Amino acid sequence: MKSAMLEVERLEKRFDGVRALAGFSCTVREQEILGLIGPNGAGKTTFFNALTGFVRPDGGQAAFRGQALIGLTPYKAARIGVARTFQILRLIRRLSVLENVLLTFPNQAGERLRNVFFRPWTCRRQEAGSRKSAEGLLEEVGLAEKRDDLAEALSYGQQKLLSLVCCLATGAELLLLDEPVAGIAPEMIERILEAIRGLPRRGKSVVLIEHNIGAITQVCDRVVFMDAGAKVSEGTPEEVRNDPRVIEAYLD
Amino acid sequence: MEYVLHILVLIGIYVVLSVSLNLVAGYTGLISIAHAAFYGVGAYVAALMALNWHVPFWLCLLCAIALTGVLGAVVGIPSLRIRDDYFVVATFAVQVIAVSIMNNWTDLTGGPMGLPGIPQPEILGWRISSHVDYLVLVGLLGALALWVSRRLVQSPFGRALKTIREDEVLAQAVGKNVAAFKVLVFVVSAGMAAVAGVVYAYYISFIDPTSFTVMESIFIISIVIIGGAGSLWGPVVGAVVLVTLPELLRFMGLPSGVAANLRQILYGGALVAFMMWRPQGLLGKCAFERKSAKA
Amino acid sequence: MQVMLNAIVSASVILMVGVGFALVFRTARFFHFAHGIFFTIGAYLAFLFKAILGLPLALSALLAAGGAACLGALVELAVYRPLRTKRASPLVLLLASLGVYVVLQNAVSLAFGDDTKSIRSGTVSEGFEVLGARITPIQATTVCASVVLVGVLVCLMRGTRFGKAMRAVADDPELARISGIASDRVLLLTVAAASALAGVAGVLVALDVDMTPTMGMNALMLSVVAVVVGGGRTITGVMLGAILLGFAQHLAAWTLGARWQEATALLVLLAFLLVKPHGFLGATAAKASV
Repeated sequence: MKSAMLEVERLEKRFDGVRALAGFSCTVREQEILGLIGPNGAGKTTFFNALTGFVRPDGGQAAFRGQALIGLTPYKAARIGVARTFQILRLIRRLSVLENVLLTFPNQAGERLRNVFFRPWTCRRQEAGSRKSAEGLLEEVGLAEKRDDLAEALSYGQQKLLSLVCCLATGAELLLLDEPVAGIAPEMIERILEAIRGLPRRGKSVVLIEHNIGAITQVCDRVVFMDAGAKVSEGTPEEVRNDPRVIEAYLD
Repeated sequence: MEYVLHILVLIGIYVVLSVSLNLVAGYTGLISIAHAAFYGVGAYVAALMALNWHVPFWLCLLCAIALTGVLGAVVGIPSLRIRDDYFVVATFAVQVIAVSIMNNWTDLTGGPMGLPGIPQPEILGWRISSHVDYLVLVGLLGALALWVSRRLVQSPFGRALKTIREDEVLAQAVGKNVAAFKVLVFVVSAGMAAVAGVVYAYYISFIDPTSFTVMESIFIISIVIIGGAGSLWGPVVGAVVLVTLPELLRFMGLPSGVAANLRQILYGGALVAFMMWRPQGLLGKCAFERKSAKA
Repeated sequence: MQVMLNAIVSASVILMVGVGFALVFRTARFFHFAHGIFFTIGAYLAFLFKAILGLPLALSALLAAGGAACLGALVELAVYRPLRTKRASPLVLLLASLGVYVVLQNAVSLAFGDDTKSIRSGTVSEGFEVLGARITPIQATTVCASVVLVGVLVCLMRGTRFGKAMRAVADDPELARISGIASDRVLLLTVAAASALAGVAGVLVALDVDMTPTMGMNALMLSVVAVVVGGGRTITGVMLGAILLGFAQHLAAWTLGARWQEATALLVLLAFLLVKPHGFLGATAAKASV
């Protein structure tokens, strides 16, 4: 039985009287891919926002490897190991593909002003090393030849793949992916799912929000079904798919 | 000939001012109309130290940079919480407060009469007094400013700044301490502007609040925008264009008061024109588009 | 008591200028910094009509307000509307309006000179006493005019179709356009009305303390403070902001000296921006949340 990486207990969040999170609890284990599904407005993205400090929950707790996540600012959450992608794709369009990846590396000496002026060789050396790693990552997903193109020149599917690579490059161990394959062509979907499948081997855990049930079934070890801010069902993809409560919620 | 040298020295001073404002406004996307306040504070600190305590030039320069840097941090802090157009209003407030202090704290600053008789600077035995001397000084400092700007902008620090400009939410999500970057870039920018102020104070040997008003801030942001925000050479081109073009008016034989008004009309009009037809300026990359805010 | 009276007079001026600024801010959603120049233009047009063309004061004032309105409309048509069509961000509009302000202020300097001009006639009035403090007739007129004009504006906005149209455009320009409201025309009239109000305020202030080309900058600053403090969404908010500001300024003048009025006003502004970006009743200045 794998140990728990993320433990969430009874998260609460209200927006103008609407209960976006209604006592939501779940666990994410080491090196697993957890699917998070549910109808629109179920609170899935709010959950991600709460974990990464973009939204402050009204109640409940969340701990990543024992460290409290609630109350951290987004950048701190990323630094302790929880990174995410966004439902509406976010990339720096004016930077190149390679720079988008380089940007997300943690602990860059060159980001400290002191080092930029007083330790230029350390910075240069580290940047060269980062470049190699970044190119390696891009190679693995087949984006290496696009590395000097501006991010805006990529197709939508390629951009989504790039945002996944960026999320991985942060070095975070828990990756929260918000609809990584929504709205893209089937060939691209397969490439992204392939990349996601490889994440546990690198020691990462993934929580995946998706409406594409086929994708969920292919990739996830476990699935959580969420509705109206609370967990309705949990188990393997088959178990959840056949759960009468889930069927009822979708038919509603 | 002296006149041409004078214009070149002014261009040099404005290059330092616009390169420094470009760091904050062009690369980080934080438009500020407080820059003349930094320029002025640098000038006043140096002038007061030189006049009251006969402090040597290099020490005045360092103190001016340090104190103005602190002011820069103070101005940077509101940017953490306030949206970009409201932030301009906040910088406007800081700018006017600074000038108000220059005008009204008469015991310290001489009030509207200003501070006359600033002595000539001396660096390692080199007495800087003629136009050529100042041109050399300003040329060196301008080159230094450009070098600092270039190193900063091409480093990972600079990459983080550009990210903050383009998408602050993403910057946070990938672990960048946005607050620290914003405050630091303001400190550097303000410190650099102080250098321009110090040179100006020694060059004219007299300073008063009228050189550092909000209109001056608007002039400097116009240089940055027209030259091209977010590009390395944009501020230089902008400074050259906006300082020399209005000077041509003098050759048309207009009385100086009229020329002064026309000069402002020219750059004000240019600002409007560029905002309407070419917001990225002559050389620029950044066109101040709407930013997406929702996750 | 004198402080109170002075504060009320100041608040009246700030209210007239601030209401216009707030209306444009609410409807067009940007800081229309050029607004300050219409205050100046009102005063100088009155000077043009009265001192140069010899027309009676009341007529000059009326024509001045009309002139300010026309100029405001011109700026909207020539600068703001084209930018809106290009979907320019509020920041771009703000920068453009700064440029417009610079151009127009210098135009006034060129046309009339930088020296102080006056449209006051006759002797300096001592004013009359109210509860132990003095107030001049022109100051009293200013307060009355402010109350009347803003009151009329509020009635127009609540009662007429145009007022409702303005609120619709303020809430959701796209929806308003789809519902058949001519957003562009609404904005044009809003800017014109705001400029006219500012112009009237300019004339009244000039009658009290004469005029210089830079007078608009001060008026602009104060109206920005009042609007931010009051929240930028409602006229009541601006009123609250104007009153608070009037008092803060004159209290500062009384205790610290008149020269610190400006700085006080702006410190109030900064304090509100940092601590209570919503002002009293209004929209947030804080960053949009995720």
